[in-house]
Amino acid sequence: MEVLVHFSRMQASYLTFRLPVSLVCVVRRRMASDAVTRFDFLVIGGGSGGLAGARRAAELGATCAVIENNRLGGTCVNVGCVPKKVMWNTSVHAEYLHDHADYGFEGAQAHFSWQLIKNKRDAYVSHLNQIYRNNLDKARIQTIQGNARFTDDPEPTVDVSGKKYTAPHILIATGGHPSTVSDEDVPGASLGITSDGFFELESCPRHSVLVGAGYIAVEMAGILSSLGSKTSLIIRHDGVLRNFDALISSNCTKELENSGIDLWRNTQVKSVQKTEQGLNITLGTKDAKDKDAKEKTDRIQGVDCLLWAIGREPNTAGLNLSQMGVKLDPKGCIVVDEFQNTTRQGIYALGDVCGKALLTPVAIAAGRKLAHRLFEGKAESKLDYTNIPTVVFTHPPIGTIGLTEDEAIRSWGKTSVKAYTTSFTPMYYTITSRKTKCVMKLVCVGKEEKVVGLHMQGPGCDEMLQGFAVAIKMGATKADFDNTIAIHPTSSEELVTMR
Amino acid sequence: QPSWDKKWPFWTMSNLQREVQCLPRGLCRTAWGLGGTCVNVGCIPKKLMHQAALLGVAMDDAGKFGWSIPGPVSHDWSTLAQAVQNYVKSLNWGHRVQLQNRKVKYFNTRGSLLDRHTVRGLDAKGTEMTLTARNIVIATGGRPRYPTHVPGAREFGITSDDLFWLKESPGKTCVSRLLIWLPGSVLLVFRHVVVHLCSSDLFRSSQSWLVVGASYVGLECAGLLAGIGLDASVMVRSVALRGFDQQMARLVTGHMEACGTRFHWGCVPTSIEKLPSGLLQVKWTEVRSDLERVEREDTFSSVLWAIGEREVGRERWGEEVAVDKMGRVPETTGLNLPQVGVQLHPDTGKIVVATDERTTVSNVYAIGDVAEGRPELTPTAVKAGKLLARRLAGQSNQLMDYHSVPTTVFTPLEYGCVGLSEESAESRYGKDNIEVYHAFYKPLEFTIAERDASHCYVKVVCDRAGVQRVLGLHFTGPSAGEVIQGFAVSVRCGLTYAQLRDTVGIHPTCAEELTKIHITKRSGLDATVTGC
Repeated sequence: MEVLVHFSRMQASYLTFRLPVSLVCVVRRRMASDAVTRFDFLVIGGGSGGLAGARRAAELGATCAVIENNRLGGTCVNVGCVPKKVMWNTSVHAEYLHDHADYGFEGAQAHFSWQLIKNKRDAYVSHLNQIYRNNLDKARIQTIQGNARFTDDPEPTVDVSGKKYTAPHILIATGGHPSTVSDEDVPGASLGITSDGFFELESCPRHSVLVGAGYIAVEMAGILSSLGSKTSLIIRHDGVLRNFDALISSNCTKELENSGIDLWRNTQVKSVQKTEQGLNITLGTKDAKDKDAKEKTDRIQGVDCLLWAIGREPNTAGLNLSQMGVKLDPKGCIVVDEFQNTTRQGIYALGDVCGKALLTPVAIAAGRKLAHRLFEGKAESKLDYTNIPTVVFTHPPIGTIGLTEDEAIRSWGKTSVKAYTTSFTPMYYTITSRKTKCVMKLVCVGKEEKVVGLHMQGPGCDEMLQGFAVAIKMGATKADFDNTIAIHPTSSEELVTMR
Repeated sequence: QPSWDKKWPFWTMSNLQREVQCLPRGLCRTAWGLGGTCVNVGCIPKKLMHQAALLGVAMDDAGKFGWSIPGPVSHDWSTLAQAVQNYVKSLNWGHRVQLQNRKVKYFNTRGSLLDRHTVRGLDAKGTEMTLTARNIVIATGGRPRYPTHVPGAREFGITSDDLFWLKESPGKTCVSRLLIWLPGSVLLVFRHVVVHLCSSDLFRSSQSWLVVGASYVGLECAGLLAGIGLDASVMVRSVALRGFDQQMARLVTGHMEACGTRFHWGCVPTSIEKLPSGLLQVKWTEVRSDLERVEREDTFSSVLWAIGEREVGRERWGEEVAVDKMGRVPETTGLNLPQVGVQLHPDTGKIVVATDERTTVSNVYAIGDVAEGRPELTPTAVKAGKLLARRLAGQSNQLMDYHSVPTTVFTPLEYGCVGLSEESAESRYGKDNIEVYHAFYKPLEFTIAERDASHCYVKVVCDRAGVQRVLGLHFTGPSAGEVIQGFAVSVRCGLTYAQLRDTVGIHPTCAEELTKIHITKRSGLDATVTGC
């Protein structure tokens, strides 16, 4: 009851300020439901999507609470986009240091201190955690620390550390975590870390082995390699980023090899042993296309960092969702409709826990749209999941939006699809000894040549994509691109001068 | 004698040789290769040197990212200049090869019009030739202007044409002196204030460049000089980046000032002399108000003229004289244009053209910097040329659209924009009829580097009525050129504010700030972005 009184007082002071009539109702309802704290909107998960949804709902007048079992900000701020980009920026400086002499600077030889950047990165992340906390406080959103679990009450109710909370609208935005491999499947697998562990490393590994071909694997490999770690990348098939456009997949694979990363194709980790010199990793290589080939066994020795980057899984364990009638798909992700409704009335889900478009801005936008639907009566408010731009911070970065060429051909047929491609050396590299190419592809369909996909890898592609994403979302055609005057000299001008 | 080519029935005079006069200080003598201003003395060398300047800044940042550079770092101008010049020469050659591949005949000769169909060529050896064509295109470009009223300007100063071809960076050491002159009407007590204000400038560092003019060329040159560790000052008559959004212009110059570039606002140079030490003594008038003027002088190792459009100077006290109406001079002398009926603009001297690039002579066309009212930008000239060629070949009748031309100023903090400035939108639509969204943001790369991000800003100017069509889009920050291009496509497609906001951002980038923009100037709310 003590808690209830405390909350009532807080709510009361807030509500008196706004609406004295509803104050009476709120208090009466509380008295009836015995030690269950009521809100208009209860959010499980204080990451990008949950916080954005809660804040927007609060702006629209709803009483909100956010339940978080870790630091505020979720994956993006703590173990994702933000610290990753800090490390990427750090590694970009390594590249600049190679180019200084070509641009006339003498004496620019540098030593790298991992500890320094790690401390600064951690300090910045803590600073952001604090900003999120302040933002919640300013918006008068209750923060509840602990693990949420749905109870068996008839009305959807959440238990956190023995206290009960409920709301007519409950949002699950618990995010995800990196997948791991069990020691049964690969003996010694648990000697490795994941991307979460990468951000805890206190020094730069001398020899890193990364497993995986997705965007996290290639980003981490690029960062470690640029910062001076001898880096090996183990991939199951022939190339990395296989669900990206073929141009990007092949170019990125080539760039990784050119940058000195030791790439193991058609290879899997068989076992890991710990020795005094570091980890010994046994690999099995077999080309799946060649049926008769025998598996070849190799060993990498003296590894001080084995990093699994084989995918991400939704955070649904412990929520007791099976009891709630909230349906999960075979991968364990929460099934939602286009309005973020789960299969249970009054429970919604968005962000990484739904397994679709695992991106911070997607979760933020979905959270805000949902808040407008629930608390502003905008019944049609939903996020359009088509044409979402994505950047991968490889060296050089990748920018992509819309359909790949293969996807477009599958939807429209080969004759209606026209792809424009270009490959060039950006001007920056014309006077350097270190060279990198920029590749670009526009996928167009139909007679009017509507642009349905844009894929590129090259220096500056990270900042280049956003504006084109706006145009593509507006339905721009190749002619619209052509009719735009170029900005000279840039790399992005190539996209409006393609032939 | 060549006759009309069936496929490309016209001659362009863009590529005829241009010979740079022997430079006043005997530094170099340059004969440009093919490619015009952009390749030889414009965009290309400028951007490469801008990259060098950015690398200079990156080196300061590197320490904050954990990279310690133990020894002293210096910059060797000649290494950079050589690399830039080699690249420019490779482009010259590339253009030449392209002409050959497309069977375009190339005459390295100086041309002039004899009549509307005949061009007379005179090469360096004095050999004459006559060419006839159905259509003639004049694309001779322009050159930087020296002021006419400043003694010593041409003799001792250089322009951006020369900067990129300097083999050595000019020498060091200079002393500074100050001289104050006030009209009798100003009270003595005022004089003390002035002395006090100016004396902070008495002890100056060495190796100093003075850039006169705050046109984009001037600011870019000052920025790249500062970036490679040289001392740069900019002398500005009135405002910087005239014609651009002035709030953005102030952010650009504010950033340069914060990084150590000195600005002399409200100043007009009056003379340059060469001292026995080799340094240049520059005298100028600082106009503080209608009643208060200060005559000042200082020494610099180099003076670079980059006067923008419509610099109006005052030669003498109280007497306003218009000097140098335009920054760049069109290259029309010797073309014999008025004689064949091609009309030149009385103020600018540029060729008067119609919307289809036609001059007052129906088969003579003019494109690029030499044409009146056209933006002095490479891509507009390139596009206008391509469209003109298609029209002349009868393949299309599409005209060049000079609206919504995106552009980027490659100052240390880059500035990219497309569409209208806030001022133009205000004067065209009225202050009450536009909505301006804005945000001060902090690039992630600035956070760790502990750099001052107070000049990183985005602004979207919208029509307030109806669907809130975007009229202008402005961005200062890293990679502005790469950021703005895509937005220029969307503006061309008729971008509205809602469409901008409906696009999912790319995190964490600077460009995403444009899709997150939501604070209006009208609201008066704090426009600083916090968190993700």
